[in-house]
Amino acid sequence: MGIILILIFIVAAIVGYFIINKVPTLLHTPLMSGMNALSGITVLGALAAIAVVVKEHSSVLSAIIGILAIVFAMVNVVGGFAVTGRMLRMFKSKEDK
Amino acid sequence: MITETVYYIISAVLVLGVLIGISMMSKVKSANNGNTISAICTLIAILVVMYNCEILTAWQAWLGLAIGAVIGVIGAVKVKMIEMPQAVALLNGFGGLASALVAILTIWQTEDMFEIYVGAVALVVGFVTFTGSVVAAGKLHKLLPQKPVVWKAHSFIVAITIIATVLAVVLCPDCIWLISVLSAFFGVAFAIRVGGADMPITISLLNSLSGVAGGIAGIAVGDVLLVAIGGVVGASGLLLTQIMCRAMNRSLVSILVGGKVKKSAATQETTEVIKEETVKAEINPGEILSNAKKVIIVPGYGMALGQAQSIVKTFADKLESNGAEVKYAIHPVAGRMPGHMNVLLCEVDVPYDKLYEMDAINEEFKETDVAIIIGANDVVNPAANTAEGTPIYGMPVLNASDAKHVIVCNFDDKPGYAGVPNPLYQAENTIMMLGDAKETVTTLTSTIGNAPSETKEETNVTDILKDAKKVIIVPGYGMALGQAQSIVKSFADKLESNGAEVKYAIHPVAGRMPGHMNVLLCEVDVPYDKLYEMDAINEEFKETDVAVIIGANDVVNPAANTAEGTPIYGMPVLNASDAKHVIVCNFDDKPGYAGVPNPLYQAENTIMMLGDAKETVASLMAF
Repeated sequence: MGIILILIFIVAAIVGYFIINKVPTLLHTPLMSGMNALSGITVLGALAAIAVVVKEHSSVLSAIIGILAIVFAMVNVVGGFAVTGRMLRMFKSKEDK
Repeated sequence: MITETVYYIISAVLVLGVLIGISMMSKVKSANNGNTISAICTLIAILVVMYNCEILTAWQAWLGLAIGAVIGVIGAVKVKMIEMPQAVALLNGFGGLASALVAILTIWQTEDMFEIYVGAVALVVGFVTFTGSVVAAGKLHKLLPQKPVVWKAHSFIVAITIIATVLAVVLCPDCIWLISVLSAFFGVAFAIRVGGADMPITISLLNSLSGVAGGIAGIAVGDVLLVAIGGVVGASGLLLTQIMCRAMNRSLVSILVGGKVKKSAATQETTEVIKEETVKAEINPGEILSNAKKVIIVPGYGMALGQAQSIVKTFADKLESNGAEVKYAIHPVAGRMPGHMNVLLCEVDVPYDKLYEMDAINEEFKETDVAIIIGANDVVNPAANTAEGTPIYGMPVLNASDAKHVIVCNFDDKPGYAGVPNPLYQAENTIMMLGDAKETVTTLTSTIGNAPSETKEETNVTDILKDAKKVIIVPGYGMALGQAQSIVKSFADKLESNGAEVKYAIHPVAGRMPGHMNVLLCEVDVPYDKLYEMDAINEEFKETDVAVIIGANDVVNPAANTAEGTPIYGMPVLNASDAKHVIVCNFDDKPGYAGVPNPLYQAENTIMMLGDAKETVASLMAF
């Protein structure tokens, strides 16, 4: 299982590299902040972890850490996508005016 | 609970959705929709995982999601566009911290050794991302010093930390607190050493790390979706890092290890200090030197430290061949031993009859056109005559301040050994050239003779702009610092209503993060199809009537093509110098971050408009 996951990681990285290569420098800031939002996907890991906490009735500390992880990841996801959207809407072409 | 196969299929679809979203970001028109698609896929992924883990009813999960979402939305709405680099850095840090926390829980919850080890690695990367990003954000927000902070034995400390971290992960992967502290410290140690202008590279790298942290956390908890997206983000950040490095002509290692640009970065910081105090850089040293008839050079220990005596000699020779009389004023305690300066200067063949003792020359400063201070401070500090109670009060000093103009080539503008601030630095007639003496004196030398001649001064900016049919604007970080984007837009509008075609040339590393200039200009409603990438526009400079540089330096420095051996040699630059006329609206005419003087400033067809970008651009609008 572990090996397969590592392979998926590598393949995803390669595929991502080629897709992102096509993004023009004009959009590099939104690209970066969009990627930044996606890195908050770790919220999925936080959810999986809190599920274990809930099921096994682990310590309060575990619960707090789990909730904090969700909070931080969520700030990253929501803030990141919102900021990216805000920036992208600023890009207007001559015709749009 | 859904079966594993179904979960994999859903994951695959969602990853595909995210990838489509990202690939839509390669066109401006579809980019916003792409962003929305990625966001929706993330939302679906959250719900799927909650359903799959049977926590749709768990209040803990909803509480965390709600708090995070509210903070995220408020932050995203409130942040100003100018603060975007630090906002991105901070958000990035949060992602890293979340991954680290997930790693901690995983290590606690599992018995499986593979998962514990992977968890420990995720913990390290997560914490490095977190503290590194917070330090970067602090620097960008000016809460921390812009210049690289280098500790004593910095590299040694970093090396020890790396070794200790690796050992801790290998030997004791569940020593969570030890690993956390070590990696958090490492994040601080590496980010604190990066200078302000290298931030685009650092942010990109941290962006990559946060993705990697998520991906590794995903391997630890066994979540395919997390692994795949972490991989994509990691690759994206790495690609951006690579692009930034190429554009700045720096290797990643040299930025992380720091050191090399330390001096110029220090100059940059002090420049900012000066900016706050006075705006007086409009006096052109080249002009003063070219017209000077009588020059006195005051060397100090700084000249010795910078090993600048030879270049000082060359400088003096050039002044003499330009018709000036050059003398050296030697203070008795200049240097670290009696007669130190005399020895150094004689070594480079300065005739000793040009070296004057203090008492013999002090009266002559009054009739001197320019006094040039090279690495001397207390010995020319006029406070010695006036500031009672200070350690230097009553000390005999050279009256350099009596000269018509004073040019100070010191490393910084801090008080000297005696700790008494030097009022000379703030004097009306003083020009500060901060930085390594060798470099500043070289710059001065190059300005003699090629100073803007009388005829050039008369080239009328108004006429040039009025007649211009094709104009390219080159924005740089100075525009952001001066918050001049809005006035730049008005300037461009006026040019257009006057019949000119206006384009913007965007260098890949202009600003503090990738694409920084684009964001700023789009915010003030500049249509994005007027923003051109370097390669797309570089050929057009030839046919351009006026190139207007606004707060950009290294990215338009033609020395990058010719000056072999300098840090910027080989760096791709905008060919602004090819335009018929060049107007430079920079704050000062000092070398940029790379420390290489910009020959463009001295070019025949260049008009320098020094000062705050907002003001200079406003004055350009009077055509």
